[in-house]
Parts: sequence; structure tokens; C-alpha cells
Amino acid sequence: MSLLEERKRGLTDPEMAASIMAEIPDQALDTQRKMMYFLKPRSKRLTEYEIMTCYSQPTPDWISGGLDWGDWTQKFHGGRSSWGNETTELLSSDWHVHRDPAGRWHPVYVKAKGEDWRVLQRFMQTFSAEGALRTMDPVWRDEILTKHLTALGYSEYGLFNAHSSVLRDCTGDTIRSTFAFAAFDKVDNTQMTQLMRTFIHKMMPGYDDSPAIGKKEWTEGAAYKSARETVQSMWQETYDWNEVMFAAHMIYDPLFGQLVRREFFQRLSPAYGDSLTPFVLAGMQTYFQTTKAAMADLYHYCLDNDENHGGFNRRWMHLWLEKWLPSTVAAMAEFMSVYATLPAREGFTDHASITASVNRVVDDWVIDYADKIDYKVDKSAMVATILAGLK
Amino acid sequence: MAISLATQAATDALALNRAPTSVGAQEVHKWMQDFNWDFKNNRTKYPTKYTMANDTKEQFKLIAKEYARMESVKDERQFGSLQDALTRMNAGNRVAPKWGETMKVVSNFLEVGEYNAIAASAMLWDSASSPEQKNGYLGQVMDEIRHTHQTGYVNYYFSKYFHDPAGHTDARRVRTLGPLWKGMKRVFADGFISGDAVECSINLQLVGEACFTNPLIVAVTEWASANGDEITPTVFLSIETDELRHMANGYQTVVSIANDPAAAKYLNTDLNNAFWTQQKYFTPVLGMLFEYGSKYKVEPWVKTWNRWVYEDWGGIWIGRLGKYGVQSPASLKDAKKDAYWAHHDLFLLAYAVWPTGFFRLALPSKEDADWFEANYPGWYDHYGKIYEEWRARGCEDPSSGFIPLQWFVENNHEIYIDRVSQVPFCPSLTKGASSLRIHEYNGKKHAFSDEWGERMWLSEPERYECQNVFEQYAGRELSEVVEELWGVRSDGVTLIGQPHVTKDGKLWTLDDIKRINCVFKDPLA
Repeated sequence: MSLLEERKRGLTDPEMAASIMAEIPDQALDTQRKMMYFLKPRSKRLTEYEIMTCYSQPTPDWISGGLDWGDWTQKFHGGRSSWGNETTELLSSDWHVHRDPAGRWHPVYVKAKGEDWRVLQRFMQTFSAEGALRTMDPVWRDEILTKHLTALGYSEYGLFNAHSSVLRDCTGDTIRSTFAFAAFDKVDNTQMTQLMRTFIHKMMPGYDDSPAIGKKEWTEGAAYKSARETVQSMWQETYDWNEVMFAAHMIYDPLFGQLVRREFFQRLSPAYGDSLTPFVLAGMQTYFQTTKAAMADLYHYCLDNDENHGGFNRRWMHLWLEKWLPSTVAAMAEFMSVYATLPAREGFTDHASITASVNRVVDDWVIDYADKIDYKVDKSAMVATILAGLK
Repeated sequence: MAISLATQAATDALALNRAPTSVGAQEVHKWMQDFNWDFKNNRTKYPTKYTMANDTKEQFKLIAKEYARMESVKDERQFGSLQDALTRMNAGNRVAPKWGETMKVVSNFLEVGEYNAIAASAMLWDSASSPEQKNGYLGQVMDEIRHTHQTGYVNYYFSKYFHDPAGHTDARRVRTLGPLWKGMKRVFADGFISGDAVECSINLQLVGEACFTNPLIVAVTEWASANGDEITPTVFLSIETDELRHMANGYQTVVSIANDPAAAKYLNTDLNNAFWTQQKYFTPVLGMLFEYGSKYKVEPWVKTWNRWVYEDWGGIWIGRLGKYGVQSPASLKDAKKDAYWAHHDLFLLAYAVWPTGFFRLALPSKEDADWFEANYPGWYDHYGKIYEEWRARGCEDPSSGFIPLQWFVENNHEIYIDRVSQVPFCPSLTKGASSLRIHEYNGKKHAFSDEWGERMWLSEPERYECQNVFEQYAGRELSEVVEELWGVRSDGVTLIGQPHVTKDGKLWTLDDIKRINCVFKDPLA
């Protein structure tokens, strides 16, 4: 029996409760009961997300928006700061103004993902009971999913790992939770690519669910050389946390990620009798859209529009586009070679369909990302470069 | 493209195999170690003198969606209790006043620890090379976000229902005012995130979580419950269910470096430094909050400390790591001395500077004094008499024009702040193990209260340069500083900190403090 169970409780023991109540004044000592009343809400009134998250980061006032004063109480060996302005090139008048439009704090986030898991479990029960795997094209199942769905999982896993140093170094609390949830979604995506293949293995024991073949494709295959190098560079070679996130979520993922997830797997799966992949990928796309909105708030609404530093930040974002866009476009061009390995399906694998796919991705990106910060892109040239990779 | 006969056969067999099935978390997790790949420049951005093994496993083996489901279930229980049963019982305002004040500090300071642990766990995730180990740290990143929000929610709940919401509503803004804040940042913030990644893990997981979360998160629920607070146990025990995973992460960190020759050279020194760092603040502060911040006592802090810190952690937990060469810290015996008197020493100082708090403090009542003397013989002669003198001079009454800080000045009891731990101490009054040492470096003087911290500073003075509240505000009048750092209530004039919790006692205002003309002074100047 624990100590808690042995002891009388002040709330329920009549004598103790009466004694406590006798000390409590009839009127509250302050009329202000709104926690974080000094915080400017993004909308009309403070949300629980804002109340729980904002100013939980204890930074001093020499990091914009910080409420503390003075130096750090312990530093890295050699004297580097715990957190510092020097960790990113971007400037902000207040690192606490970002808001996740989805208002996600931890319970909101895990509730949604926990529900996704339950729905997915029920879906798998139904899918298997119906024998829905019977309609899946064997080549799609054994070649494409084995190699390329797994390779997608590695791309997502690299992006996931690119978040670790960002979560260590970033200088705001709402920013940190946005990045953390984006990271968690990325590792979830990796795990879902493995889950799908393990699911197929359980329905069809001869199917090899080891990621070995896909891993080889990702690490050695020509179709993923630029993708792999771009992801690796974000993960381990780039130290500016804003640059890592901008490269990942404002360039690579909305271009390469969307091409592979939405235009390749989601669009093509029905053509090969695959109703499993679109279901799982739909979850990934939900995460993508939620992250997209959060990143747009940070990089467009907050940092590009910063009253003091907006122009400066935009110049840096343009520089980062110059740096990361070519390798991302190269990654997309190299991925085009995968289309040649597909069994032909009219309306899906022909040149016109693939061109339309690429155009959709590029159009969306230009409208939702490049135009927002006035970055000029020659769409036709970009599409042509990508399509040049078609075998 | 043709398919193999084996695949064709398997495909045909599907017609007969339509048993409902799904995939469990473990079936996905078993492939975790294969998710990594090697490439040039695949190294951490946070170098460590240790080498973490590539094949380190984690113990809890979660995948993202299963983690979310599990935590969501825990959240449903927790928020259900808070928002339904406890609210209908008006439990938020049936808490002993002193304890409701204590929770302003406990919950908010723990929130800072949880928040910094997000960054600390992320650094470890970056440092580890094993995917399973990375996954374990990732789970902790998510947990720490959860705990940040949960501890924030305790202040949020008390803001709504407790009879003194000030301090709960604005702790994140006003907490920087008092001299307890910087010490808390040392143990709960910078100590977790600034240094060699493994050293930070030792601070966070091996000491902070494995050693002090038991007294901090478990024992606090017993004190809370005795004092009418069922909000805190509801939240903190839910937090504690995650802490087991973090202790396992700390254990695995040690396992991952066990075969590294660097571990034999550095691990026990790092552990000793981490233990002293953590205990230097937690030992006095937790003891003070429990014993001086409660109406109903649970047990003497020294007993709690001996059970959780000395026996459970120093003996059993570290004993389990003995096979990896880990030894109980050499400073443990000195810490044991602090566990008896250090929290009494600290309350004397905390009460003396009550206007800088974001909580109300109270002098020990007659019942409190009897309890202290019974459990800490000699307490009355050293501390009790001082409190009687302060009370007789009217320290609770704004019209008295007396705050106990004046008594320290009158009696030449200089208050210093230890440069490394940032914990205040008064060498001429202490019954604990503190003793004054002063060093000069780069034209600046630094005070220290113990040899362990002094050693850390002597080795690496550039890591411990933070100015303290006396240096920062030297020459400034007290009420001016309190106002500047938001230490007032919503009327703009009444202090959040008060020297009593009596029902009908008058509350001090900025003018009451201004009349005293108390000016901050740096004792080292």
C-alpha cells in the first residue's frame, strides 16, 4: 500500500478539510484569473494552445521576445550559449509570435494521431477480411512497393532526423512544438511505409517485408542520388536551424515529397488495384497539409512580414532557395526514371499524365511557396528539367 | 514484368487466406535498426567525448502512432478528473493556502525543466547513432512537450479556481524576479542542454530524472494530497508514468558508452558533477517547499531524501550500473549533510526577500515550529528565535515598515549567491555545509559555497559567468525592481509576493516597500 493510500487527504478528511476551509478568504485576492493575460492572442481570445505553450521557453530579453534577463547559468565547454541569436541567420522582432494554425498542443496532437492509429487498425482488419490484396498488381506489389515505398520511407526518415538539432537549437516555444510535431509525423510516415509492407507479408507470407531492397535502392540507386544527398545535407551538414526547416518544409518536401507521395503513389495506386496505399498515404498527406500551414505561418506570416526584419529575412530565404532548389529539382528529375519500371497503364503512366503530375506539383509549389515571398521561378523550365529525367 | 512462380502461388493462396489481421507496433518496431544508413559526414552536431554504440537498443519499443494512442488514453483520464470530478467538488479552492502558493513555484519551475528537457532529449537524439536509441530519445522529446503542457495546466487550473490566482496566472513572466530563479535555471535548464551531450544526459536522465523526480514528482503528490490538493497528484502521477521511460533512456545512455574507454576516464567525474549540480538546488529547495509551504506535514524532508536519494538512487539504482563501472558520487556524503539543514537555511533567506517572490510565504506557525523542533532538534534555537523576532517587529504588517532583509543588514549577515549553483547562502548564519570562498577572475569577484562547485568553476570558469540578482540590480531600490519585473497584481500596486497567508491580513503595496528604501547591494562589490 502506498503512502498516499495510508494517509488522510485534506480534501476528503472532514476535520482536515474544515480546517483548510477556515483559512480560505471569502473573496479572491485578485480579480485577474486569466492565465497569460499579458500575452497577445493571435485571434480574438487566447486559446488553450497559446496559454500552455507561449513563453514556456525561458530565454533572456536579448533573444527577441524573451522575458528573462542576464546570462546563461551554465554554458557549453568553451563558453557557447545555451540558446543564442547566432544559431540562425534569420531575425525576428519576437520569436514567440508564431502560431500553429491547427492549435496543436500535446493532448490535441496525440488524440488525433491516436485516432488515426485506431482507424488504421480497423481498416487493416477490413482490408484483410475482404481479401483486398487480391486485386493488387503483383509487379506493383513486389517491385514498386518493395523498392520505392521503402525508399520513400528512408527519405522521410532522413527528414525526421534533420529535426533533431533544430529542436535543440530553435529559439521559440511555439516554434519548437511545431517542429517537434512535424518531426514526429515524419518518423510516423517512415513507420507506416514499413507497416504497409509488413501487413502485406502477414496476408501473404511469401512477401518479404525486410526493408533491405528498398534501402539499397535509396542508398545506391540512381533514382535517389540527389534526394539522398539533399536529405543528408539537411540532416548533418546544415547548422542554421531555420535553413534546415526552410529547406525541408518549404522546398524539398512540397516538391519531391509531394511528387512521390501524392502524384506517384496516391495517383497511381488505383491503376494497379491497390486500395491500401492511398488509405495510408492519405494520413501522410493530412500531416503534410497541417505542417504546411504551420510552416507558412512561421516563414511567411511571421518572418517574411516581420516589421523590422522582413526584407532581410526574405533575402536569406531567396538565398536558401538558390541553394536548395536545384538539388531538389534534380531529385525530382532522377525520380522520373522510376516511371519507366511501371507496367503501362493508359491515363496513368503515359507522358501526358506524368507531365500533368509534375505540373501540378510545381504549380502548387509556386503558388503556395515561391509567390508568397516573391521568388521568381521559370515554371516551364523547371518542369522541363524534371521531365528530362523520364526514360 | 513477370512475377515469380512463388509469388504467383502466394497470390493464389490469398483466395483462401482472408482472416482479419492487422499489424502491431512491435512488428513495425523490429525493423527500426534498419532505418538508418551510413554516409559521409554522418556525425552529430553536438560532439561528445564518449562514443555511443551503434547497436544500442531501447526498452520501450514504441512507434509513433502507438505512443500517441497510449498518451491520449492517459490524457483522457487526467483531463476527465480535472475538468469533471474535481471541478464539481470545487477542489481548486479547497487547497491549504500555503500549499496553493507552493504550487505556483513547483509547477512552474518543473515546467521549465520539462521544457528544457525537450531540447536536451533532441540533442541526445542527434548524438546517438543507433536508430532504436534515437527513437527512445524521440519518445522523450514528445513526453517533455506533454509535461511542459501538463505543468502549465496545473497553473492554469489554479488560476481559475484558487483564491489567489496571482502568480499562477503570470508565473512565466514574474518568475525571473527572485533569487531562486537562476539556480533553478542551472539545474533545470542549462544543466540539461549546455555541455557534452552525454554529460547533459547524466544531468537530465541519470540524476535529474532517476534521482530527483521521485521526491519531486512522487513525494510532492503526498504533500499535495495531505494539504487538500488533488489537482497536483492527478497531473503529476500521470507525468511519472512517462518518467520510467526516461530513466530507461538514461540507463541505455550508460549502456551505450559502457565499452568506450572514455567512460572509464570520465564517467564518474561527470556523474559526480551532475549529482552535485542537481542536489545543490533540489535538496534545499524541495525541502523548503514541502516543509515551509504546507499546513499538514507528511514526513521530515531528511527522511524522504534519505529514502529516495541516498538509498534508492545512490544505493540501488547506481548499484545496478556498477557493472558498467559507475560508482556512487563522492559528493553524496556531503549532500547528506545538506539534507538536514540546508532547506532551513534557505527558507530564512527566501522569507527575508519575500517581495521578490511570485508567491506568498508564511512564517512558521506554532504548530509548524513544534514540528520542526521535534524533527530537527536545535531548530528553535537557531531559526525559531529569529522568526519570533521578525514577527514581533511586525514583518507581516505593511504598516511596520520592516522586511527581514533589513535584519540581515543590521546584523551584518551578508547574503551571497554561489556563482556555479546560483543558490543564495549566508555564511554567518548557515547550519548546513556551506562555507564562503571568493575568487577573482578577469577583474570580477565570484563567491562559492562549497568545494564541489568551486572545483567545477576552477576547471572551466567560462561556463559559469551568469550575473546574479544582487549584481544585476545593485544600487536599485527594491520596489522599483519589483515593478519593473512585473511583481505586482492586476491593480498595479499590490505585490504578488506577500509575507503571510492569513485570511484577513493586509497586503503590501509598492508604496509600502518604497517607504523602507531598501536598495540592492552586491556583497562582492
